[in-house]
Amino acid sequence: MNEAYELDVNGVRYPINAAMDRNLSSVLRTEVGLTGTKEGCDDCECGACMVLIDGQPVNSCSYLAAQAQGREVTTVEGILDGDNLHPLQRNLLEEGGVQCGFCTPGMIMSAQALLTRNPSPTEEEIRIGLSGNLCRCTGYQRILAAVERTAAES
Amino acid sequence: MVIAESPRFMRADGPDKVTGSGRYTADLTLTGMLTAKFLYAGVSHARITKLDVTAARHVPGVFAVLTQADVPDIRYGSVADRTLFSDGVIRFEGEVVAAVAAIDTKSAQAALDAIVFEYEELPVINDVEAALEPDTPLVHENWATYDADDDVSRQANVASFTSITRGDVDAALAGADRVISSRYVADASHAVPIEPRGVVAQWEGDRVTIWSSTQVPFQARDGVCEVLELPTNRVRIIVPHLGGGFGGKCGFHYEAHIAALARASRRPVRLVFSREEEFLAPDRRREGMIIEVTSGLNADGTIAGRRSRVLLDNGAYSSDAAFFPHMAAMHALGPYKIDHVHAEASSVYTNHQPSGSVRAPTAPQACWALESHTDELAKAIGMDPVAFRQLNAVDTGATGVTGQVYDEIGLQECIREAVAASAYGDELADDEAVGVAIGWWPTFPGASGAYIKVDSDGKGVIITGAQECGTGAVMTLPYLAAAELGMAPEDFELVYQDTSVGPYDVGATGSQTLLNNGRATVEAARQIAVQLKQLAAEKLEASPDDIVLNGGKAFVAGSPDSGVTIAELAAIAADGEMLLGRGSGAPPETPEAPNTVSCVGDQGMNGWAGPQFSCHAVRIRLDRDTGVVRVLEVNTAHDSGVIINQIGASGQVEGGVLMGIGQALTERTVYGADAKQMNAGLLEYKLQTMADAPPISIHFAEVYTPDMGPNGSKPIAEAPNVATAAAISNAIAKLVGKPVRLLPMTAERVWETLQEDGA
Ligand code: FES
Ligand code: FES
Repeated sequence: MNEAYELDVNGVRYPINAAMDRNLSSVLRTEVGLTGTKEGCDDCECGACMVLIDGQPVNSCSYLAAQAQGREVTTVEGILDGDNLHPLQRNLLEEGGVQCGFCTPGMIMSAQALLTRNPSPTEEEIRIGLSGNLCRCTGYQRILAAVERTAAES
Repeated sequence: MVIAESPRFMRADGPDKVTGSGRYTADLTLTGMLTAKFLYAGVSHARITKLDVTAARHVPGVFAVLTQADVPDIRYGSVADRTLFSDGVIRFEGEVVAAVAAIDTKSAQAALDAIVFEYEELPVINDVEAALEPDTPLVHENWATYDADDDVSRQANVASFTSITRGDVDAALAGADRVISSRYVADASHAVPIEPRGVVAQWEGDRVTIWSSTQVPFQARDGVCEVLELPTNRVRIIVPHLGGGFGGKCGFHYEAHIAALARASRRPVRLVFSREEEFLAPDRRREGMIIEVTSGLNADGTIAGRRSRVLLDNGAYSSDAAFFPHMAAMHALGPYKIDHVHAEASSVYTNHQPSGSVRAPTAPQACWALESHTDELAKAIGMDPVAFRQLNAVDTGATGVTGQVYDEIGLQECIREAVAASAYGDELADDEAVGVAIGWWPTFPGASGAYIKVDSDGKGVIITGAQECGTGAVMTLPYLAAAELGMAPEDFELVYQDTSVGPYDVGATGSQTLLNNGRATVEAARQIAVQLKQLAAEKLEASPDDIVLNGGKAFVAGSPDSGVTIAELAAIAADGEMLLGRGSGAPPETPEAPNTVSCVGDQGMNGWAGPQFSCHAVRIRLDRDTGVVRVLEVNTAHDSGVIINQIGASGQVEGGVLMGIGQALTERTVYGADAKQMNAGLLEYKLQTMADAPPISIHFAEVYTPDMGPNGSKPIAEAPNVATAAAISNAIAKLVGKPVRLLPMTAERVWETLQEDGA
């Protein structure tokens, strides 16, 4: 049975009509229409679906969409700096931290949450902070460099 | 033309990928689109006794239910042992028995539940050595009747076999000072791209468009054409952004199933795999392997002779079988100067998921075994293992195991530089050690094509059949074209991964994109350069031979200030003979290996074109109480010729190394007694995380390699995956006192080895 409710995603209020057992990643991708949030496992194991809920990083595949009512949901589409790339986005590209790009949105959301919580993290803190985001392409070295550079620049 | 400076490389697809606006296959929606689901066998070896889909077809919301009875009766594959749906015998658990298209996932599941599927189980063949026993039943009872390449020999469950012989190995071993034999066993593992595969198909009249997360769109198209009996120009494969592949998305997989469902249901249909399906179903798993090597040593430490035997777990069907034994045999002999060799390798049918190309297929496992054996050899004669490799490994002018004489190569430079960058020879804590290993990998020259057009405003488009899987290879093409035309890389846009638009390309496989498509792009650009020079010559009243293209202008050599812009020339051309280039670039020749005999299974690859070499040195820490190994630092050196795109090449090394660490320590597929996978999930399979990843240093031995890739380059994507597990093994052996003979070298296996005598 579908039910009607509202979600606040990237500062926009969306009317939703969906079954109450739908997870947030699937509602974001199909009802809200934002496909930047990726699904690599649907099982809380890869981090590709990471979004922020009231600033906290959450694997949206394992979070009920209806539970996000009344909270601020931020996806990768919501972190652009006006028309410009967010420093994390730009630094990931300049450092070469993006290959296939499938882990990238989740990685950006986790890094954003980390840097908000801890603006000057140590290397170890970054490694642990992003250890829930799997990347099969890069070996992580350039992602680490991009996050370090973003922290150093701000 | 050589690019003077390696560009600081910003990939053209990057903004799409970091903003979330880029579409991957699972992001696509078409009006009226249905959801596909498969009924998998769920049993490893069985004969179907009843398959009835009548009730499933009547489930509300269901538009189509298909089995093998509904598609042309065609077998395909390198040994034609495969059918789209089960042919009546189930040979592995992930075999597709039926496919459903329905209005939503729930209806599709209801239809699957309504299929009557009954079978009688057959004894499972769960082990390659058991598969070779004389009384073991055949995985393919009638396989003598299947089509196959001429070089496939059909003996019992041996899907394919290769031997390589040079000199007289028996005499060499008999006359050797020391003879040492080793046996190593590697488990199967997986490619694990983070994007699970997706396929969307839509028919318009008698033509079908298929969006697929494939690394090899042309191969996928040809597969669809073969099994659905369609001409190539009515099947269009488009690859949206591809979320990684590593070989796992090579081959022809589910495009035809979804096209057939879309045709039957008269609706667009989409399939998106779960992570579990991604582990269980595709014909693309890194094969388990048994490697036995015997080497004879002379008193001076040189290698007198080597005999190697490799058994590969082919699984139930032969996606790449014909080619694997050859690769494995070469890797079980290694990049060494040995005059007397004999290698045999067999890929053996079992009731496991089929093997297929995963990043440097066969190499990491065989290299791990051979390089661990190499450290055993050095140890047996009290020689430093690095000095042993410096003595025995090939280099410029040397003759390798198959008799190939190497042109200028950089293997010895790789050994020197990787070791120098590492802590090898330094005083280390007593729970730390550095292991060193060398690796090699061939280059795969092949056909490829590109078109370039430069429009009236002087902006260009490169239209290529090449496929980008994340490596950045396609993203590098604008740099090559721009260098030929004196333009900026940003002047070019790319149209790619669309089989109805670009010329044929083998795809993102065999590290071949920049090698083959780079040459094609350069050739296409050169045709436009000729046109531009002609136009400029007319305008400047000079000879075309004197015209230089540089900085967005054409000018007479020596007079850069009095030139004409490319945009002006393009505007002139737009009203007459347009600026259109096309190239395919004749593939480089494969060198000979004149003294080798391959009795059967010869893939013509005893001589390797543009061989790539590497050395990895890895420092680890071992917790002797638990067997847990932590990788602290990896120092790599690679001869991949001249490096065109430093960031891209470095990214390949770093990613390949991390995959190698996973293979070394954690990644394995565990089979139950029923031959079914027991750890088909990310948590259980265990990829390396950022917290596990060590710092990685890279040295490129930039040997200019003529007649190979553009600008003296060789490929890079697979090579970094070859030697990492081997180097880790050698570090572990130093601390344990003997090698761990099972891959991955899990904490449990390291601990067990520590408890053995002699450890
Ligand atoms: S899709 Fe949510 S963690 Fe993988
Ligand atoms: S860039 Fe491909 S998974 Fe991270």
